[in-house]
Amino acid sequence: MTSQTTIPATSGAFTGGIQMPKTVKVQALNHFFGEGELRKQALYENNLEVRRGEIVIMTGPSGSGKTTLLTLIGTLRTVQEGSLKVLGNELCGADRDLIVRIRKEMGFIFQAHNLFESLTAYQNVNMAAELVGLDPMIAEGRINSLLTRLGLGHRIHYKPKSLSGGQKQRVAIARGLVHKPKLILADEPTAALDEKSGREVVTLFQELARDEGCTIIMVTHDNRILDVADRIVNMVDGKIKSDVAVQETSVICEFLKEFPLFADLTPNTLAEVADQMMVHEAQSGEAIIRQGDAGDLFYLIRTGSVDVLINDGTGDQKVAELNQGQYFGEAALITDEPRNATIVAREPSVFYALGKDEFRAVLETSATFEEELRQALFRRQ
Amino acid sequence: MKTPLAWKNLVHNKVRTSIGVAGVSFAVILIFMQLGFLGGIIHTATQIYDALEFDLMLRSPAYLHLTEARSFPRSRVLQAASLSEVAEARSFYLGLSEWQAPASVPAVESAKTSEAIEEEGDWRAIITMGTDPKDPVFNRQEINDEARKLSDSTFVLVDVKSKSEYGPADDEKFSETDIGVETTLGPHRVRIVGLFELGTGMASNGACLTNPEGYVRACPWQTIDDVNFGLIKLKDPSEAELVRQKLLSIYGIPSRDEKSTFSLTAAALTNTDVEILTRQQALDREEHRWVHETPLGQIFTLGVWVALFVGVAIVYQVLSTDIANMMGEYATLKAMGYGAKYLTKVVLLQAVLLAVVGYIPSIIVSWGLYRLVEKLSGMPMNMTPGIAALVLALAITMCVLSGLAALRKLYQADPADLF
Repeated sequence: MTSQTTIPATSGAFTGGIQMPKTVKVQALNHFFGEGELRKQALYENNLEVRRGEIVIMTGPSGSGKTTLLTLIGTLRTVQEGSLKVLGNELCGADRDLIVRIRKEMGFIFQAHNLFESLTAYQNVNMAAELVGLDPMIAEGRINSLLTRLGLGHRIHYKPKSLSGGQKQRVAIARGLVHKPKLILADEPTAALDEKSGREVVTLFQELARDEGCTIIMVTHDNRILDVADRIVNMVDGKIKSDVAVQETSVICEFLKEFPLFADLTPNTLAEVADQMMVHEAQSGEAIIRQGDAGDLFYLIRTGSVDVLINDGTGDQKVAELNQGQYFGEAALITDEPRNATIVAREPSVFYALGKDEFRAVLETSATFEEELRQALFRRQ
Repeated sequence: MKTPLAWKNLVHNKVRTSIGVAGVSFAVILIFMQLGFLGGIIHTATQIYDALEFDLMLRSPAYLHLTEARSFPRSRVLQAASLSEVAEARSFYLGLSEWQAPASVPAVESAKTSEAIEEEGDWRAIITMGTDPKDPVFNRQEINDEARKLSDSTFVLVDVKSKSEYGPADDEKFSETDIGVETTLGPHRVRIVGLFELGTGMASNGACLTNPEGYVRACPWQTIDDVNFGLIKLKDPSEAELVRQKLLSIYGIPSRDEKSTFSLTAAALTNTDVEILTRQQALDREEHRWVHETPLGQIFTLGVWVALFVGVAIVYQVLSTDIANMMGEYATLKAMGYGAKYLTKVVLLQAVLLAVVGYIPSIIVSWGLYRLVEKLSGMPMNMTPGIAALVLALAITMCVLSGLAALRKLYQADPADLF
């Protein structure tokens, strides 16, 4: 049998093969505000893993705990319960020196820009450069180029008082980026920006992620910048409700669309299907399904390849070979008959599997395509 | 070069900084005034001693302070003079008498009728000193020179520092135009023959100098054989303690433990009529007496403490408001990874700058107030380098402590709670 995991297919955990150390690893994290009678839980048993170079967008209604989680990761709040590892360091129970050291490796872009009123834009950004001991010449070049890129070239030596809200926000962004942090945490970084500057900011983020391996976690309600996300984390009432790798989900959807029965499904439904799939792993030579067994799962090959063997009474005959993106196991689910073939992994492989009930439900949904369209049109109003 | 954040913060918000500077200045002026008053007391206590030439002092065991000196037999001074180590042993008379402000018209004309005397001014208590004009006791040449004019018991010299209520001709201070003026000192008429400058104090606002006979005329309750002080000058001042021991044995006083220096009961126990002090002992005791035992001294000592507490309260209020206003910015620094050391440095530097900037106008204003108080009340107020340095140190300490107290919140709270 294959080893079935509890990891959802859309988590992206198996994209890209060998796992790199996680930049952020949140386990069973709880957080409370207030004392005694007034103590109120803000975060409930949250788990989250963010890999190096990933851009994560956290969304959710206000009061759902996004900013609380962000500030906990940013060491701006003391971890109370659970485990929180940032850049390889456990924050729960960490001493002040360690916290100060970790802070220097991070760039935090605050919702309130918190610029020093007494310093110019340049000096404000320089406060971050000085802290990490950046060479003044290099720092000067970086500060000037960052501010210029953010459209503040003509405002470099202005004090915050003579800058607009959006300009102040951009100075704060430059301050968060100037020291090339390994992890950038941003709370609504584009909220005060027009579309063009907002785009420039996320492009900068993408460059840092791609070129420097910088990890970026941002809380935002700005749906104009959702496209840069590698992962979208949705929080509701202090819990992570969904944690989806955008790229992986899109790959799964592309694969699923190849399946004729799913061809009519909207992207929305396809994404929901992808969400319900679980990861399975198999070693080389391992049988995934056997001819004659009852069918309970539909498989999609994420990586690797399999042989399809049919026993016609004279022994197993190889009838086909299936590769990445192809699927098997659907016939038994549709016809409610036993498996009509044996599938054996040719190499270590990863599959995404969908349960029988979910599979059938999707087929039902397919019939309600028109209904879904009506819903979509209705919501447009 | 690092960004001078503390300085930038102070310069940037001029209104807030001005309020801070005003608050610090107010506290500093308060402390300056109280220290000035206390300094005035100390000065009162020792300014006459400072002007006298002596290495050892003889005085009555019942001595309280300068103007309550009590007296002892003059023979003790003569006994001391017999010692070979003694260069000079002089008698000095000092007590409070009554002075009537002279008439504003020249005495020579007004003295013609007895009514004219009735028209003279109010009576005031005055420090009256008596010294031998042939061998004056002062260590200032200009006073000694004037003292030689006191050849008659009706002649007096007047301290130019005496207040205007003592009746100088110009209603301001005694000057050359007052020489020759007659007035009444105690029960008798005297004539002003000269001036000297010594300074008065808390005990009395005026002083005059006469010869021993003149002193006894002014203070008739004392005879010429009862002196207030015996001032002994030694050939070698370093022998003071040795001579003191010798004198004790001559006078038959058992040598007592130095620790009981301030005990007034010692004299009663030994039943002697004189005590012997070195110059330093005399100055120390006089200062102690005025600062710690007179109500005035106690009031002003307390005043210094009250001013300190009020000063700390004001400075704390000013600084903690200042820091509270910038809490978001400091929390941001903390969030960026600036350590407690840097934050402390910035806030304390800001506090010290505020203290120094607040100190400069205060010392100028205080100096002016010292002059004003001196003019109005006659209390000698001196801005000594000691007081100036002490207040600067106090101002910086107050600011630093207040800054640290205000920083506690920043140390303890999570940055996220401070934005």
